[in-house]
Amino acid sequence: MRSYMGQQEDGMSDGLYTYKHHRERGADIHTIFVKKSKFRILLSFIGTTFLLVSVCCALLSKDGLCLCSLWSISFASVIAKCLRCDPVKKESLVIMPTFGIQLEQHFWSGRVHRKFVPIGKILRPVLNEHVTPVSCYWSLALLVREEYELMLVFKSLNPPVKMLVPIWKALCAFVDSNTLGNSALPQST
Amino acid sequence: MDGQGTKHRILMVSDFFFPNFGGVESHIYYLSQCLLKLGHKVVVMTHAYGNRSGVRYVTNGLKVYYVPWRPFLMQNTLPTLSLTFPIVRTIIIREKISVVHGHQAFSTLCHEALMHARTMGYKVVFTDHSLYGFADAGSIHMNKVLQFTLADIDQAICVSHTSKENTVLRSGISPEKVFMVPNAVDTAMFTPSPKRLNCDEIVIVVVSRLVYRKGADLLVEVIPEVCRLFPKVHFIVGGDGPKRVRLEEMREKFSLQDRVEMLGAVPHAQVRSVLISGHIFLNSSLTEAFCIAILEAASCGLLTVSTRVGGVPEVLPDDMIVLAEPAPGDMVRAVKKAIDMLPGIDPQIMHLRMKELYSWDDVAKRTEIVYDRAMESPTTNLLDRLPRYLTCGSWAGKLFCLVMIINYLLWRLLEFLQPAVGIEEVPDIGPLHAHLGSRNDEAQEK
Repeated sequence: MRSYMGQQEDGMSDGLYTYKHHRERGADIHTIFVKKSKFRILLSFIGTTFLLVSVCCALLSKDGLCLCSLWSISFASVIAKCLRCDPVKKESLVIMPTFGIQLEQHFWSGRVHRKFVPIGKILRPVLNEHVTPVSCYWSLALLVREEYELMLVFKSLNPPVKMLVPIWKALCAFVDSNTLGNSALPQST
Repeated sequence: MDGQGTKHRILMVSDFFFPNFGGVESHIYYLSQCLLKLGHKVVVMTHAYGNRSGVRYVTNGLKVYYVPWRPFLMQNTLPTLSLTFPIVRTIIIREKISVVHGHQAFSTLCHEALMHARTMGYKVVFTDHSLYGFADAGSIHMNKVLQFTLADIDQAICVSHTSKENTVLRSGISPEKVFMVPNAVDTAMFTPSPKRLNCDEIVIVVVSRLVYRKGADLLVEVIPEVCRLFPKVHFIVGGDGPKRVRLEEMREKFSLQDRVEMLGAVPHAQVRSVLISGHIFLNSSLTEAFCIAILEAASCGLLTVSTRVGGVPEVLPDDMIVLAEPAPGDMVRAVKKAIDMLPGIDPQIMHLRMKELYSWDDVAKRTEIVYDRAMESPTTNLLDRLPRYLTCGSWAGKLFCLVMIINYLLWRLLEFLQPAVGIEEVPDIGPLHAHLGSRNDEAQEK
């Protein structure tokens, strides 16, 4: 933890995630990239190949479609569908001074999902310990006015806390610099 | 290890914790608070309670993991053996735990966490809070599970000498490994009424879950008889449960509506206000390892009448409690004796004596010794540990060995899929925000 506390890095990387920070036309952009799993790609191709082979065997066999063939086709279809679903390539947080923040999800297919949160709605950014039935990880979220639940900054990716801390600090500075943010929630000393 | 000076990092595991209320829950909470005061790191792991899920920080920065596993029976999580391993392993590594302390023989999560911790080579301590039988099917099953858990444990704790004897007989654990550390009471929370109550009208208080084990059926027979013999006696019954209907019926049958007040479920914060409205506390439990309720009543200055069961005779000095056999006639005689003793009872003196006799700080210091002893025990590998399980029975022993081998293989698989170095360790000082905030302040000062 201590090694990164005082750092102002423009980027860092670990086995799975890469963090990049840059400024563009006055906006502060924090991006988390995820490496595409080679194992997943391999499984995807195996699933697709298995599907094609099953269909060909079923069509070319003299006995016609038997129950076994139907099972193998449906099973291979499910595998191929699951593995070829459109995963997230990168997620970005764009801080626009005086306006608000924009959360972006970039998918491998090229599709982009964007969500804008105006500055007036943000009460506080929080670093949360997220507990699932099998694991535990850090997540960065926003306390949003008139919203019952926390808004996750990175919805699909779970980057390590060393990447989340500089983003959290940037968000804190952004919220604190805004007078609305200061009046909305008293700062702890 | 330098003995007493060693600071431990403890993971308390049980299915029973706040917001649920009871003896085990209070024990874990107060013990954790006192261990934090002594400089140890304490983390609690339990299952989710309704919407209470994820990480919560309670008083003095005590960190609680409410793992999103839903309870399936009597606040217990579903026994899965292996499915809890990933989360237990993650918490142990990220919190840099040195000792895993499981509470209550009936807790599934406790047994599984201790099993996983042993597989990973961590020191484990177990506290048994209850007494169990030997004959019925439930007890036979429970005792076998306990035998499996305690076959390879570093140290065990029981809350009374009776409980220790019971645990040793049920599990076959070596008595040298079992320590007796009693429960305690928060005397600051349970203080007597500032003004002394008038003895013209005697109020007998019952605060208990109205279930068979707590002797609700005994109350049904005792209350009418006491009311018949002593016209100036009133009863206040606090608590709820399946046996409440029987008490209501008894009240109707003997026309005691004006003399027996039924309060229903009493929130823990209001227990003191119920206790201080009475002179005598009546406990009719049929089995009890310790009974914290008696301590709370005595701390409030009430004279106790109780059944002579389990560890109850060990709890209070003879001049603060009247014991009786769990039979209606003997209970009535004990109530009569208590009424005769009442003029000589000073609630303030009783409270001060309780303050000296029972303190959570003392419990924490004694538990600390158990942790030190556990840390001194040699670290053993799987092959050294397997023979211990074989002694658990001709068939059960082999089954337990198989379970431990599978668990070991699962651990190796988890180590391969998610190496320990990939699990982020958390800062020790409260929530991360506070930690980062203090760092920023230090940097600014420099």
